[in-house]
Amino acid sequence: MAEEKKLSEQESLELISAMIQKVKNSYHDTGIGSLLWGTVVFIASFVSFLRFRYGFNIGFDIWLIVMGAIIPQVYLSIKENKSSNAKRYDDDAIDAVWLVFGLTIFGLSFYQSTVGDTTTKIIQEEGWVMMKHYINEVKPDEQLRPFALSPYSLYILVYAFPTLVTGMVKKFKPMIIGAIVTYVLFMISCFVESQYDFLLGGIAALLCWFIPGVILRKKYLGQKKANV
Amino acid sequence: MFKELDPILHSQLRLAVMSLLIGVKEADFTFIREKTNATAGNLSVQLQKLKDAGYIDVVKQFKDNYPQTTCKITPEGILAFEAYVKALQEYLKV
Repeated sequence: MAEEKKLSEQESLELISAMIQKVKNSYHDTGIGSLLWGTVVFIASFVSFLRFRYGFNIGFDIWLIVMGAIIPQVYLSIKENKSSNAKRYDDDAIDAVWLVFGLTIFGLSFYQSTVGDTTTKIIQEEGWVMMKHYINEVKPDEQLRPFALSPYSLYILVYAFPTLVTGMVKKFKPMIIGAIVTYVLFMISCFVESQYDFLLGGIAALLCWFIPGVILRKKYLGQKKANV
Repeated sequence: MFKELDPILHSQLRLAVMSLLIGVKEADFTFIREKTNATAGNLSVQLQKLKDAGYIDVVKQFKDNYPQTTCKITPEGILAFEAYVKALQEYLKV
């Protein structure tokens, strides 16, 4: 591009439009992160559903694969950060939203794992216990450990939030649609047995991350091919 | 009466650089060079002119042992760009 070429007003306007368009086209999410999380959350949710539905044990907590996915995600983030040569205004905001999402998921897991024991202790100090009473008295009453009711519904609700924000900020329809359907899945999960929450959560993972990830990946590879 | 177009911006490469930087928070020298198809020498000169005018900030640092030049539009640069586009629109009655 020659420096000193003087432009007509029309040419100037066209140049501005062309450059703004180039910036828009230069942004390409590789889709790997979405594919990774969509896959692991779907597998963990679906295996949990099958485990509750058919009562089998796989010998380890399937949700550990979700924890394990943090390692490749950190590697991918560092790699993408290194290869990125332009930073958009919304990058920091989107990163913050997903960081808060991660903290929220951690908070929910923490709540789920501690609230039962803590409540048991508190109510025992108050001098009462929770009991399970069968209406038709087929079984004797038994003491019940307090627990969070249908907790996976809350996870489904939380899955929708960062996905909708990302979809709206990036104007990426597949994520917007995925998030909206996930809100519907959350509502459905409030009316069904807990085991089906996992099935709905698996569908949410596919809609929020896996399918948008496939679309992003396809776009990214297409752009990469075009730039060669 | 038409406003005079800003001579700093009314030049092909400098306008291209500003149009790129208006859409991003910051960009590397390589990104700008790639998008404008300019030569490194020419681009360096024009970036310096924009910097001297106070329209962009240029930060030179090392990233993984390689020199890296990062450019960012300043608030003055944004105002100048907006005024330039407004003046263009008046000319063209867009």
